[in-house]
Amino acid sequence: MTWWEKSYLPEIIKGMWLTSRRFFHNLFGFIPFFLGTAKDRRIMTVYYPEEQVQYPIAYRGRPVLAQNEDGHPACVACGLCEIACPAYCIHIEPGHNTGKQNQYERWPDVFNIDYAICIFCGNCEEACPEEAIFMSDDCEISMLDRKKMLYTKEQLLTPVADLQKRIEFTRNMYAKWNY
Amino acid sequence: MWVDLIITLVKIFFILAITVGFFAPVLTWVERKQSALMQDRIGANRADIMGFTALGLFHIIADALKMFTKEDFIPDGANKVLHTLSPIIALVPALVTFAVVPFGGQYTLFDKEVNLVISDLDVGLLFVFAIASLATYGYVIAGWSSNNNWSLLGSMRTASQMISYEVTMGLTIIGVLMVYGTMKLTEIGAAQEDFLRWGFFLQPLGFFMFLTASIAENKRIPFDAPEAESELVAGYFTEYSGLKFGMFFMAEFVEMVTIGAIMTILFFGAWHIPFLTTATLLSWFDFLGTTGSNLVVMLIHVGVFFAKVVFFIYLQMIIRWTLPRFRYDQIMKLGWKILLPLSLANIFVTGLVILALN
Repeated sequence: MTWWEKSYLPEIIKGMWLTSRRFFHNLFGFIPFFLGTAKDRRIMTVYYPEEQVQYPIAYRGRPVLAQNEDGHPACVACGLCEIACPAYCIHIEPGHNTGKQNQYERWPDVFNIDYAICIFCGNCEEACPEEAIFMSDDCEISMLDRKKMLYTKEQLLTPVADLQKRIEFTRNMYAKWNY
Repeated sequence: MWVDLIITLVKIFFILAITVGFFAPVLTWVERKQSALMQDRIGANRADIMGFTALGLFHIIADALKMFTKEDFIPDGANKVLHTLSPIIALVPALVTFAVVPFGGQYTLFDKEVNLVISDLDVGLLFVFAIASLATYGYVIAGWSSNNNWSLLGSMRTASQMISYEVTMGLTIIGVLMVYGTMKLTEIGAAQEDFLRWGFFLQPLGFFMFLTASIAENKRIPFDAPEAESELVAGYFTEYSGLKFGMFFMAEFVEMVTIGAIMTILFFGAWHIPFLTTATLLSWFDFLGTTGSNLVVMLIHVGVFFAKVVFFIYLQMIIRWTLPRFRYDQIMKLGWKILLPLSLANIFVTGLVILALN
């Protein structure tokens, strides 16, 4: 430290200048917003539950199951996500068709994810060969009852149309079909 | 006689209303909002009435409600009497100090001289320091009677810090006393009518030292070692809850106003507007008659005084949210090795200059 810095007073004034500048900058960015003359304020934080920000597409919220246009889950109940899951929060009981030819051969009868155990690592999404499980941008899953955090297949199913961006992202990210 | 009594009562009511009723609650809001804006946040905004938040002003009401309804907890093994008494001892000096603080000059209203100070003591400044140092007892007793190690440590730190910085404070104002030659706060205020005779220009070093020492007296950051959250939980008021905690809290904010008021009177020209004497102001409003012009000038002066007080409060808040906490040994070093010699040197130089000018 130089003698000038050691004398402390100039550095205090420098610091106070910085904080005062931020204060007045934000104050005058704040008032027009509340008077209604400015559309957006110059403050970075938001009133959280009322205002929400768009999370980046790489954000890993709760994992959801993709639901095809005809309402059937894209999942084939292969169990790879169950194996990939480091926290053992996924439970799958497969169902398959009984001989009659139709479009789907296998599907999960039971597909449970316990969000109280899930660590949101995204390994299930990476392991999935069928583009069936994806990390959504929903992170508001806190509850007062642990038992309610066990989501069943019906709660997990999300239309593919809603997941399109994430699907694009995972294709680029994991290059799934470029073996 | 009766008129005097009524005037005094009005003044007491005004001071209490503006410190306890206005400044103390509003400052809790200001501190939240100011710190938030400074750190690019929004700040308190959750308390609402019918969905209307009024920029978070309802947090004041919410705070008051919370403090009134909270359980008044006294820990096992605590001295109940002293535990209850100490917040009162801490809060009262902060309020009593205002008895000698003038918030305006002398005005002629309805052929009566009105002096805008509750009690114009000849030893006003001494009275302020005598009463302010009493608050130390409140903090020491609070820590001791809580039967808690952290509280005791906090109160020990409070005692040593307040005593160390009171020495500096007392020696700093001697420079001011030498310049103005009086201890009456009203006379010190009146002597600063000329802009160039403001205490800030006559005692620049004294101003900075007094500011430092008074923030240390108030135990606010950067001198908050007595209540250091990261070390001592909350220092001397760890074991306090409800309204007793509220009283400590209020004492801090009232003390901020006191410091602002004393600084304004000693160093920032009290109720005077720069380059504008009272006589000039009075002549501007001459068309209103004696009483009318005096009344207008009185309102202007009181407004100017409290504007300056608000400026000093803002300064204290900016300092609080800018600087990190001093270590305990640094506080002692600053108090005894830097500020004390500097204040003695300040007295010496002031004396030399006064001698040379005479």
